[in-house]
Amino acid sequence: MTRLITRQKLIQWAPFLVLVVLMLVFTAINPAFFSLRNFGRIAISSTPALMVAIGVTFIIIMGSIDLSMEGTISVCAVVFGYLFLQWGGTLFSSAWIAIPVTLLLGAFLGLLNGAVHVLLRIPSFMASLAMGFVGTGLAVMMTSGEKIFVKDDAFRSLVTLRYFGFPVMVYLALLALLIAWLIQSYTTLGRNFYAVGGGEELAHASGLNVKRVRITGFVLAGVFYALAALFAVGKIGIAESITGANFMFISITSVVVGGVALWGGTGGVLNSLVGVLIVNVIDNGMVVIGLPDYVQDGILGVLVVTAVVLSTDRRMISVVK
Amino acid sequence: MDFQRLKPHLPWITLLILVAIVGTADDTFLKPANLLNLMGDIVPLFIMALGLTFAIYIGGIDLSAQSMANLITVVATIYLGSLGGWVALLCVAVGAGLGTLSGYITTKLMVPSFISTLATGGIAISLSQYLSGQRALNMDAAQRDAVFGWMIAKTGPVPHELFIAAVLLAIALFVERRTTLGRVLKAVGAGEPAARASGIDVARYKILAFAISGGLAAIAGLIFSVKLSGGAPAIANGFLLPAIVAVLVGGTPLTGGVGGVLNTAIGTMIVAVIRTSMLYFDIEATAQQMVFGLVLIVAIAVTIDRAKLRTVK
Repeated sequence: MTRLITRQKLIQWAPFLVLVVLMLVFTAINPAFFSLRNFGRIAISSTPALMVAIGVTFIIIMGSIDLSMEGTISVCAVVFGYLFLQWGGTLFSSAWIAIPVTLLLGAFLGLLNGAVHVLLRIPSFMASLAMGFVGTGLAVMMTSGEKIFVKDDAFRSLVTLRYFGFPVMVYLALLALLIAWLIQSYTTLGRNFYAVGGGEELAHASGLNVKRVRITGFVLAGVFYALAALFAVGKIGIAESITGANFMFISITSVVVGGVALWGGTGGVLNSLVGVLIVNVIDNGMVVIGLPDYVQDGILGVLVVTAVVLSTDRRMISVVK
Repeated sequence: MDFQRLKPHLPWITLLILVAIVGTADDTFLKPANLLNLMGDIVPLFIMALGLTFAIYIGGIDLSAQSMANLITVVATIYLGSLGGWVALLCVAVGAGLGTLSGYITTKLMVPSFISTLATGGIAISLSQYLSGQRALNMDAAQRDAVFGWMIAKTGPVPHELFIAAVLLAIALFVERRTTLGRVLKAVGAGEPAARASGIDVARYKILAFAISGGLAAIAGLIFSVKLSGGAPAIANGFLLPAIVAVLVGGTPLTGGVGGVLNTAIGTMIVAVIRTSMLYFDIEATAQQMVFGLVLIVAIAVTIDRAKLRTVK
């Protein structure tokens, strides 16, 4: 006999159900929540966070973790700001080159991060935490705390130019999501991420170069962090050493709440999309129904623990550190 | 002499070399008054690192220490007026309570400690913002001096914070070397499955370790808020990195089991000397975080026991 609702299925759909229930609750309390205007607001605040979440999703699928995003984003944002202004200050000059250069920089920082983790054989949470500190420190050093204003109208059209109520950057983010989904589902690299996460020793024994897969994962994550930096700068028009602040907690919460298991091997970027939306709907909804926003960190803390607990198959682990 | 035999001695050798370098570069550095001030200033950091040592000693980590200290500066500032000296007890209770929560989530709910403590840290941030109304608060100066003035006073040239640090270190050392708790924590750090197989209630002792870490982070927060005569939800930001660095360069590796609180005392002094040397050698203050980040990577890479990691995730 097969049961219609298995534990597996429930866990798979739980994040989506949570999102729907949250939206219904907020709408019931204040109908203004359910409007195109408000959805536009949620979409804008979700965009940079989604890029970070996608990046770290690849890492978590491998069973590792990346805590370096705040540093990488800040460095990318600051370097982008300087180069963009240096090279003309508007998209219609050669300053557009700053965009691909920033993406390359993200890839390079990811490479460093992955190399420290894999080649020095340091657990990823600590290697990436330390690299994140270095990144933030580098951004502080480059700016001395100054802000860099990127006021170019063409670049800011990321957020000012709207189609069907949503700004351009939302569509670009969806495109990036599509690319990430294609990488995850239809490339060897994507399958290798799952192979490493599902069982590293098995993957190694079947001839996979696990080290190379891991490092490539961190490089890919770095590129998405750089995208997040571009969107974050586009959103407010300012690049500074704290552009990356708070992304660590928010993005990891999103990924885990979206249903990607910390142990690796399951979930994917679509889970992370749902997770990012849950986090941002809570954030937005609390303001709409008139609750103070500082409750958010606490609620996220409770959510993330709940999500990890629900997704953990207790028979499989013996030691938790 | 091979590296493995040298390894346990690296921390104090590093400290001596650093002191020698800075001492020759700047002759005011080695004056006793300067050294005492230097050590007095670093006491809140030392106490936080002392707590972290317990979490790292069992192979875990406590990323909530900084948020905890932030919360405690707010709690101490708000309740000093109504509770007087008893506020210290409240602070330690809050810290140990949240630490217990981290420990419970880690052991009973099987959430890795870096996530559980990150989550507890989130709760601490929310609490501190709620209690403070997201503002910086000031202590009533007269009351602070009456209740906690002794903490920041001096006997001759010796700042009283050093006595507090010494007492806490002595207690921690006693717990580590002379109690069942200390032995069990070492067993857990050295090999948790073996510790469990020999009939130890591992979960209970791990929860205690996180509670101690929380309680000490709270004391660090309390002393910090007394020093600054106030509290705010982000006032202790920037503590976490040097505190982790202090534990690791002291010689307690991330994999746990070796090292201990005495090592952390040496590690904290190394952090203090590096900080001061940056001033003397005219390295910008903004470079400090990057330097400590790099030191952290080197420290982990040198101290970590790779035999304990079957796969490096």
